[in-house]
Amino acid sequence: MAEARRSARGARGGADWRQIRALLSAEIKLDLRTSRSQLGRGRLPPFVTAMLVYAAMGTLLALALVAMADPFVFALFTMSGAMFLTALSVIMEYGSVVVSPDDYGILAHRPISSRTYFWSKVGNLFFYVGATALALTAPASVIGSTLIGGGWSFAAAYLPLAVLACLAASGVVVLVYTSALRVVSYERFTSIVTYVHMLATIVLALGYVALPNMIGRTGGFAVERGTWTYAAPPAWFAGAVNLLAGDGVPQDGLLTVLAAAFTVAAVGAAMNVISLDYSRRISELASKSGSTPPKRAGRASAALLRLGAAVCRTDEERAGYQLAAIAMRRDRKLRGRVYPAFGLPIAIIIFGYATGNLGDPFAPIDVEGFRAHQLIGAYCIFITIFFATAIVQSDQWKASWIFYAAPVRRLGDLLVGARKLIIWRYLLPFYALLLVVLSFAMPPAHAALYMLIITLLALTAFALLSITAPAPPLSQAVERTRQARQFGLVALGGLAMGLFVAVERLMQEVPISRLYVVIFLAALAAASEWVLRKSLAHKLARLDFAG
Amino acid sequence: MKRDATNGVIVFRNLTKRYGELEAVRGVSLEVPRGQICGYLGPNGAGKTTTLKMATGMLEPTSGTALIEGHDILEAPLEAKRRIGVVPETGALYENLTPREYLTLVGRLYHLGEHEVAKKIDSFLGLFGIDDVANRIMTSFSRGMRQKVLISGALMHNPSVLFLDEPLSGLDANTALVLKELLRDLASQGKTVFYCSHILEVVEKICDRVVILNRGEIVADGAVEELKDLTHRATLEEVFSGLTSTGDLPEIVRAFSASVRGEEEE
Repeated sequence: MAEARRSARGARGGADWRQIRALLSAEIKLDLRTSRSQLGRGRLPPFVTAMLVYAAMGTLLALALVAMADPFVFALFTMSGAMFLTALSVIMEYGSVVVSPDDYGILAHRPISSRTYFWSKVGNLFFYVGATALALTAPASVIGSTLIGGGWSFAAAYLPLAVLACLAASGVVVLVYTSALRVVSYERFTSIVTYVHMLATIVLALGYVALPNMIGRTGGFAVERGTWTYAAPPAWFAGAVNLLAGDGVPQDGLLTVLAAAFTVAAVGAAMNVISLDYSRRISELASKSGSTPPKRAGRASAALLRLGAAVCRTDEERAGYQLAAIAMRRDRKLRGRVYPAFGLPIAIIIFGYATGNLGDPFAPIDVEGFRAHQLIGAYCIFITIFFATAIVQSDQWKASWIFYAAPVRRLGDLLVGARKLIIWRYLLPFYALLLVVLSFAMPPAHAALYMLIITLLALTAFALLSITAPAPPLSQAVERTRQARQFGLVALGGLAMGLFVAVERLMQEVPISRLYVVIFLAALAAASEWVLRKSLAHKLARLDFAG
Repeated sequence: MKRDATNGVIVFRNLTKRYGELEAVRGVSLEVPRGQICGYLGPNGAGKTTTLKMATGMLEPTSGTALIEGHDILEAPLEAKRRIGVVPETGALYENLTPREYLTLVGRLYHLGEHEVAKKIDSFLGLFGIDDVANRIMTSFSRGMRQKVLISGALMHNPSVLFLDEPLSGLDANTALVLKELLRDLASQGKTVFYCSHILEVVEKICDRVVILNRGEIVADGAVEELKDLTHRATLEEVFSGLTSTGDLPEIVRAFSASVRGEEEE
């Protein structure tokens, strides 16, 4: 009886801490376990793998900045990287970390106040962001204290502040998204959120490439502090690190105040804006998700189907193609998982045009340093990761039993068909668009050659990625952190950028080598596709329906 | 907490739900007294599950409200929800938890003591014959095993009102028999049961009263025998078909069969 009275008081107060503990404990257990995905069986839990990848990224980022003798600059760059990656990770995992319509069916009929539910989600978000931030910044704190010479006082100040910086960055993301949920009608939200994802990615990527260009360099890696520091949130936290580590200059005091104010404002506002009616809105959002009538197939859809008939060789390929086309048209969550990727090359193009730094990959180099086209190329390849992951996953994955029950000759052909849809409907048109845009910044022949090379690389990457995720389209449970892990792998693959730059230098100096490069890459793309088909035939023949 | 004085333990007042142009539930009003098992029948898309979702706070009505033991589900949702146990049609549960973990979560959400939770979990899972998988993650569970966990979750806090949406779904014959008898026993103890189903035989056997919904509206309400007398039909199946069928059944069967064979219907 006393316990019931206590719980009643707790509920009246808005948040019931016993319920919050129970929900949080369950959510963390769910985070740490492998999903039902057939692809995940026998592996490390996805969350742990993601953290290992982040730790590797944090280590590489910190090692790359060892040449920076100044702990302030080191902290500035490593924190900006960690904040960017954490915010991007929250954007990618928003559907599972913050907004969880899946909870609705399980929890909505139970006596849980919206504030209780909200705090459990905030706790889960903090756990996720805190773990991500720790994995990203712990290596930097060790490297900063040893190789940079900041000492252990640097590590003691850096680590908590870096985690706070990442929490503040994720608070901004949550604030923007949940505020949108308040003002936008429920039906429109899931559609709009896809484009918000994309816009947020553009803004974040712009900030990421803009920061180093805001800094006045005095030569080498030394940087000149100036008024720009007041406009760059990572600089606020770097200033606070300096101050707490005992190396502060007068400016660091103000930067610390800014860092504290930013953290309190971002995290506090994110919570206060949304706590009261959060749960109800989420449940209404979930209840509306299936109520929008499907769009009528128009001319574009008919053309798409004709294209499918032309490029697909078997009935299974055509079925996979058509299923993927319908899913991409109607499944907002699926679109939300892939569209943000387009934001990255778009952001770099905007930045390249704005700064006159786009560069011509085949013109003789007259200036050293950052040239935007290299990042555009990398991000174009990066897009394929999003598609390779998303196209095999679905919230309705259990419907894929039909692939196993029907007399399908080659399960792999279903994925091949879906991949053809992605290539013909999304990748090639997007690369063609970039070709047009780049033609304004460099000779059209150079733009065409460059985009041809990028396309071949992207097709190779897409095939190789599909080999690592062999499953019929939309047949796997949506696995949290998968995109984050793949993003991390791509970032690690960014090391290959060095090779890419070397090949680019060769193509600049020896024009005939361009032909050899194209032939080599075309052969590589064709070989990857061949290996993929063989691999699918082999692996999918042994795959069982997991439902 | 202010209570609304009424005789019904479950009261629906003009419950309505619209999705744009579509009116899924149209002004449903009824009262279910204590200890009654009320069957809620209707063809697919009639609005049964939507009604249940509104009554249990899973969905906000467009207008109208529901009261549980006098507590308005919109005005005092926590008070109302403490009194109900729900087996939803979706069968949603956290599959990456074990039955023990899931039921422990449920017990904690209702503020049961840890000892009581552990005891009830052992008891429920043992009675349902799934105690051997109590610590196994539920991803590989059959539909029936999941349903047993869901039913355990609905009964965990000894609710006075039960909302069940196709509770026999996936259960084997023996377990279904146990559940039917259990519902009778719970009703005799004064618990009120709101039972949504398509399975007319079960409803006919266990329900004291039957409410038939068609296109979002109540088209019949009474004891099974009363409905048979009123409609001059011999079975509940005939009553149901007479009130909700849109066409001539033999004609539909003939057309369907022709379609299966790929033949043109004359």
